[in-house]
Amino acid sequence: MRYQNATAYRFLAPYLLIFSIFWLWPIISSFLISFQATRTVPWRFAPTFNWGRLIGDPAFFNALKNTLLILVIQVPVMITLAIVMAVLLNSPLLKARGLFRFAFFAPVVVGEVAYSAVFRLMFNLDYGIINKLLNSVGLPRIDWFSNVTPAMAVIMIAVTWRWAGYNAIILLAGLQSIPQDVYEAATLDRVSKLKQFFYITLPLLKPIIVFCAVLSIIGTMQLFTEPFLITERGGPGGGTETLGLLLYRQGFRSLNFGYASAIAYTMAGLAIAISLVQLWLTREPK
Amino acid sequence: MAAVTLKNVVKRFGVFEIVHGADIDVEDGEFVVFVGPSGCGKSTLLRMIAGLEDISGGEIAIGGKVVNDVEPADRGIAMVFQSYALYPHMSVEQNLSFGLRMNGNPKADTERRVKRAAEILRIAELMKRRPRQLSGGQRQRVAIGRAIVREPQVFLFDEPLSNLDAELRVQMRVEISRLHKELGVTMIYVTHDQTEAMTLADRIVVLNAGNIEQIGAPLDLYDDPANRFVAGFVGSPKMNFLAAQVVGNDGSATVVELANHGGARLRKSLSGAPPAVGAEVVLGVRPEHFFEAGEGDCDIAVKADVAEHLGSVSYIYANAGPEELIIEREASRQRATGDHMVVSIKAGRSLLFDKSGARIR
Amino acid sequence: MSSRSSSSRSSSSRSSSRLGRSIALHLFLTPLALIWLFPLWMMVIFSTMPDRGIFSPSIELLPHGSFLDNVNNLQRDTNFIGAIGISVSVAVTYTFLSVLLTSMAGWALARYQFFGKGVVVAIILGTITLPYAVVLIPQFIMVARDFKLANTWVALIVPPLFNSLGVLFMRQSFSMMPGDLFDAARVEGVKEWRIFLFVALPLARPMLAALAIILFLASWNNYLWPLLINSKPGAMTAPVALGTLIGLTKVSWGGIMAGAVMLTVPMLVVFVLLQRHFVAGIAAGAIK
Repeated sequence: MRYQNATAYRFLAPYLLIFSIFWLWPIISSFLISFQATRTVPWRFAPTFNWGRLIGDPAFFNALKNTLLILVIQVPVMITLAIVMAVLLNSPLLKARGLFRFAFFAPVVVGEVAYSAVFRLMFNLDYGIINKLLNSVGLPRIDWFSNVTPAMAVIMIAVTWRWAGYNAIILLAGLQSIPQDVYEAATLDRVSKLKQFFYITLPLLKPIIVFCAVLSIIGTMQLFTEPFLITERGGPGGGTETLGLLLYRQGFRSLNFGYASAIAYTMAGLAIAISLVQLWLTREPK
Repeated sequence: MAAVTLKNVVKRFGVFEIVHGADIDVEDGEFVVFVGPSGCGKSTLLRMIAGLEDISGGEIAIGGKVVNDVEPADRGIAMVFQSYALYPHMSVEQNLSFGLRMNGNPKADTERRVKRAAEILRIAELMKRRPRQLSGGQRQRVAIGRAIVREPQVFLFDEPLSNLDAELRVQMRVEISRLHKELGVTMIYVTHDQTEAMTLADRIVVLNAGNIEQIGAPLDLYDDPANRFVAGFVGSPKMNFLAAQVVGNDGSATVVELANHGGARLRKSLSGAPPAVGAEVVLGVRPEHFFEAGEGDCDIAVKADVAEHLGSVSYIYANAGPEELIIEREASRQRATGDHMVVSIKAGRSLLFDKSGARIR
Repeated sequence: MSSRSSSSRSSSSRSSSRLGRSIALHLFLTPLALIWLFPLWMMVIFSTMPDRGIFSPSIELLPHGSFLDNVNNLQRDTNFIGAIGISVSVAVTYTFLSVLLTSMAGWALARYQFFGKGVVVAIILGTITLPYAVVLIPQFIMVARDFKLANTWVALIVPPLFNSLGVLFMRQSFSMMPGDLFDAARVEGVKEWRIFLFVALPLARPMLAALAIILFLASWNNYLWPLLINSKPGAMTAPVALGTLIGLTKVSWGGIMAGAVMLTVPMLVVFVLLQRHFVAGIAAGAIK
């Protein structure tokens, strides 16, 4: 191939221009802002102002704790569910495949606002269909939004419903890229279907599972709309407040850009750590 | 029409040099074939002539004009690719005219050129079809047609027949030969198939690991290869190489003893200086140059392993100790596995190489 | 004789175990699928019920006839039809521009050797795992305060144009095409931008379709950025307009559900019609 600097950069120029203005500069700028006191005019440089506050802020630790709790429970449950969906959708025994695919993949196209509204209504204390169904089978109603644990559960259920199918699509494509003859060889070697899943499918799928997990973790870490709309701005009493919501409150309600930037960079730090774990998990064996 | 000259052309990818200073003169109207095993640099050399690869060192001239920094389109060349490279979303006609249309060539002239190419290649009835609706041979014709339409000074072919089955390959080979006669333009053709090289070329350039091993007319390469590589590459089946040692020199001749054939000796006259007594050498004998016992200058006994009867000739895969030999025989249909046979080598029909592979003449 | 009977017995036991596994599969998957469809089904049901029906003690699982009333209620609460108009226009413009930009960049990365290529690829890969939160605040300050573009279409369309998965997808698509095709055009003297427009893009049509669908959906459903930057009533996109109603006390929930249906059902129809492209677009993010 020939070196074609001018031609290549002509094709890249618009994209790189957008990148520089709306990503590269903000990444730097956000870092700088996190070291400034931004509620005085003009802003002044105060390296420990925001970061110092962060370390001692119970609201921050509450949001961090909630975010990590959601991460630790929701992501593994969702990924497991997505693997199950993908494997079963891939089964040659399945009839009406199109209908099942529609059922699991449809949430992918549903917007956050639309589904937040539905979940809020479904889990309503007095008139929600969930409590009505619980009642009809003799179970007590649950006051979903007044207590922290059920409120968290609703958030996790909602996020899992919205994103399991998305991950299943990615995993299904991965499954379909595994050559069929590997399974045929294993069948001839009298390896049971279940063992084939654990000793062939899972290891071959590992890089994709890790990829899905990392995308899900980074997505969940920034969780904003669900606690904003479903549990009413992180309620009850901050019990479902996430880092994303705290950043929104600090940055765009209190207009405290410096502190919000420090929160954002904390999230970036977590994301980088998680990406490093991904690299380590999917490294090529020497 | 134009000559193509390569002067000390070098190609590097990073630290890897894959063409080490190639000097080639292609005369105006000549058909030259670059041949060599895969990875020898022949395709890279062709793509450098086309302008699709940068030239790391040296000079390429087409029609007397150095083209190192000239865009591919301005070099007066046309290229036929191994994969045909037909645009799948265009009809045959659109494929043929695409380049001319994109460059604002007058419509009437484009139509004339497309019509002429279609006539030359007899593809006029395919003009409305898409590439996917064509057979392999038809696609190949369209690909060549697209080159003809450009009315180039030099045609470049990059392994154009390697995707065709054996029968079509022979047919297209004849076709390309006819085209060369009809158009009379310079053609440079890359292949790994020595049969294609032998049948098509005015001259062959044999490449190996980025070096030019020899340049010459097909039969010159066959009769008088410069080294063991060329001797082994040209000719089918391959030339046999027998281990030997120089046991004496007298005047302008040398006597070698074949290591694996019970001390059989061959006296071979040389034009140059003979090798030292005791030197290990290699004797090259083509399968078709084994004679009946007693007819040559040196008889050897071998045991047949496998016999392949092709009808007109038979190939006998024989061995003698560690050495595997291929022997061509006419009308020897009875020869079977396990037979012992005696064949004879003629001094004038064998070649001598030193240990490094260089020819001893 | 005996070997024949034993082989037929073993094949019948094989097919009966297949049947057993098939039944177990469907017994597990059917309820799961129904649970998964339930929220969507309820969205549609709620949108057809009057508010007093939604807030009644009875269990309602079948559609009623109040959809149009609910649309009217919604329109009274907020100018939802206008917001949909903005959403459609923004999503269409965004999709067109983003497909163009990402495929140009993907083409350059797939098909040219140039100085700094490694850096550009590293940047794009790096931003995949970077939380959007990091750029959100400066982006907002810049667009709203420095460029004074709050509550304009430009603010909605331009900043999200940077999109790393799309570029990687197009790079992958273009690099899978045989390079001879483009070299053939080059030898014929076709200019690079014409090769891109007339050879590469037509060949990439299925991939462009997949990309366009994913980008359209992303723009259509985008919530956080439009919420921040276009919060003025006349400038809101449909999800933002709908979001403002959630949590208000005197609001028609039937209307909100009608809005949710109007946001969702068109996308579901597109999904059903173009499922292949959808799935390809999402799956391409991971399969390299």
